[in-house]
Amino acid sequence: MPETLYLSPTATLPYCRGCGHSLVVRQLSHALEQLELPPRSVVLTTDIGCVGLADSLFPYLHTVHTTHGRSTAFATGMALADVILEPRGLKPIVMIGDGGAMIGLLHLVHAAQLNVDVTVLVHNNFMFGMTGGQHSALSPLKWVTSTTPDGNRTPPLDLLALLRTAHAPFLARQLATSQELSTTIARAIDFPGFAVVEIVELCTAYGTRWNQATGASLEQIVRSQGYALGNVEARTDRVAFSEVYRQERETLRPKRIPPAVPRLNGSAKLANELRLVVAGTAGERVQSAAKLFCHAALAAGLYSTQKNDNPVTQGTGFSLSEICLSSRPIDYTGMESPDVVMAASDDGFKELDANGTLAVCRDETLLLVDAQIEAVWPKGHVVRLPLRREANPKRAALAAIAAWLVKNPLLPPEAWEAVLALEPADRRAESATALEIGRRLAGAIGGL
Amino acid sequence: MLAEGALAAGCRFFAGYPITPASEVYEVMMRELPALGGLALSAPDEISSLCYCVGASLRGLKAMTATSGPGWALMIETAQYALMTETPVVVALVQRLGPSTGGATQGAQGDICLAELSTSGGYTIPVFSPSNAAECFELAVHAFNWAERLRTPVLVLSDKEVGMTSEVVDDEALEIPGLVNRQMATAERGYAPYAAQQPEYVPAFASVGGDIKVTATGSAHDTEGRLRKNSPQVLEVLERLQRKIEVHAEEMAMIKPDLDPDARCLLISYGVTARAARQAVGKLRTKGLHISFVQIQSLFPIPRKWLDWAAADLEVVFVAEENLTGQYRTALTPCLSGKRIHGINRIGKMISPGEIVRAVDGVMA
Repeated sequence: MPETLYLSPTATLPYCRGCGHSLVVRQLSHALEQLELPPRSVVLTTDIGCVGLADSLFPYLHTVHTTHGRSTAFATGMALADVILEPRGLKPIVMIGDGGAMIGLLHLVHAAQLNVDVTVLVHNNFMFGMTGGQHSALSPLKWVTSTTPDGNRTPPLDLLALLRTAHAPFLARQLATSQELSTTIARAIDFPGFAVVEIVELCTAYGTRWNQATGASLEQIVRSQGYALGNVEARTDRVAFSEVYRQERETLRPKRIPPAVPRLNGSAKLANELRLVVAGTAGERVQSAAKLFCHAALAAGLYSTQKNDNPVTQGTGFSLSEICLSSRPIDYTGMESPDVVMAASDDGFKELDANGTLAVCRDETLLLVDAQIEAVWPKGHVVRLPLRREANPKRAALAAIAAWLVKNPLLPPEAWEAVLALEPADRRAESATALEIGRRLAGAIGGL
Repeated sequence: MLAEGALAAGCRFFAGYPITPASEVYEVMMRELPALGGLALSAPDEISSLCYCVGASLRGLKAMTATSGPGWALMIETAQYALMTETPVVVALVQRLGPSTGGATQGAQGDICLAELSTSGGYTIPVFSPSNAAECFELAVHAFNWAERLRTPVLVLSDKEVGMTSEVVDDEALEIPGLVNRQMATAERGYAPYAAQQPEYVPAFASVGGDIKVTATGSAHDTEGRLRKNSPQVLEVLERLQRKIEVHAEEMAMIKPDLDPDARCLLISYGVTARAARQAVGKLRTKGLHISFVQIQSLFPIPRKWLDWAAADLEVVFVAEENLTGQYRTALTPCLSGKRIHGINRIGKMISPGEIVRAVDGVMA
């Protein structure tokens, strides 16, 4: 395959004299030649910095020049999409600097965890070059930069060690001047999964100006940090994301369609909208009781809205549902002044007080509360029922709804039967018991 | 329903990160996309979420993520990249009470400015705002259609009260538009990735991995995608990015008007507050006030022509929205010059019909 399909032979490399980037783009081109990859199967994804000037040097590859540090994430997105498209086989190659690697570290870590088929070439010249030679997270100790004029005091990040802990299956570190570099890059690209090659080089604009560093001393700089050079770690025990996806597809179950709530013949009629609040304790099936009620209302031909609330902790404190019922589509879903307020526990009652619900009750508002709640309220017609004692705490909310419905029979019994039939068997029995106890307790309401 | 709308629109890629009140969208996509041959993925943060989506879209898939205010703040750089590279992508922004972490389980309409003014350069990102579950579905489809047609990021601006309220939807009554797909480049010869002609001003799309070379860049570029400084062509490309939105503004406009020919005033609202406003209008009319009402579904670009039409000959305009400073009212004000504009605002709780009635009465009585 002619070289022209990769690095343009006429390209004027835009890098400073002696810059390692010039070596890398040539070695990358050689690597692509070794692999004989069709140019349109490769997408060169370049980061911000001098590495980002590489796009125009490869006129036949797809090139995506990204935002700073995010090149790995964009390449990961392309690789992920490629998994579900035909024909597959996209080879994203990321060119990123040491600065970009740090700001985009999370993307490298996640790509390693996913094991997407992305190859990342980290151009580590120990500093930010394009912006004027500032310190980076990979600057060696004592390295002089424009922002560490007295030498760097922050220990450099061992990028490969970090990515090893993120289960990156292919890791290599090479000098830009190494004769092996193109072979290492080719191996990385050919590797079925996530591969990182850290290429150590010098910024000749700033690095060699301010530090006693030459191409000849580069190896010593790396080794003094305790890093090995030239070795390739290639794990064979990790399966590439594309393969994981294919295996999962084979065992994929068809889309689960929840059973539709049946619509009964004839519709329940409501002259006016009804607004109810059901409150209780988290974990005591308050919101699921409200949901069942709304489904029963739907079966009976009513419109409903259900708005839930709970503390951010989810599993503790109160749990609350605000319900609107109407024969017509419902606009406002809030509670300017509820018609019915049910409190199945003290937690629920306290929240009704705290969120202002009790304050907006009218004289004719029905407050149906558990008998154990000892509180006073400003307005409303209060009925106490031994919900928790008779039904048990987890059935109390649904029992309250059932008790109220006995006195306000807006839903036909078939509506409950229809929605109970959709419940799992164990839950169905629980709900049926709650409804039954609630109906029995309704006798105590009297005189509404 | 927003997720279902996205699926119906042809979304086949989703990357998400948990955040209340947008996590439902994430969960539905994780559950349902694989069975449709799509890919849904948990990203390690919101920046990654949108980068993955943009990458997937560059490869040719319709893609979406969902987040709330704090997550959108992190995504803005990447949204601008999508805008600059003309990569279609949809972001569902389910608002909660801000600023900062704010109130995760409290609704708000406080991200209007954050949606409108999220780009360096002040470019317009189309924003659609649903008021109920059915509109979540419908506007998600519209959002994808416009993202595809204009090759640009599009926001669906929902909020906690819309996104997390269960309600009955008549699926037979859903108004679902036909699906639009990005116009694909057909031949490499003569293809310039950022060259576009009137009247659409949208370049044809070539997908990464396809036969036509892709040159995508977030840096200022000419029609070939080359980084150029001091090139008039670069400025032309930058101007076209805004022009392609503006020339389609009227076509993008979506409002739900309920006008009274004898109206003395106009009430404007959007999102969840439009529901209270509609109810308030009913009460005000019962009391004898002649009032017109407009629910705006396409917040940006501002549906200016429709506003002119609805507000013609009216001196008094009310804008009801659940934020402190009247963010959309401020955006609309230049379009309503010469009129007395009153804001109806609150935070921490949905604005009620009663509050709107009292506010309007206070001015009109």
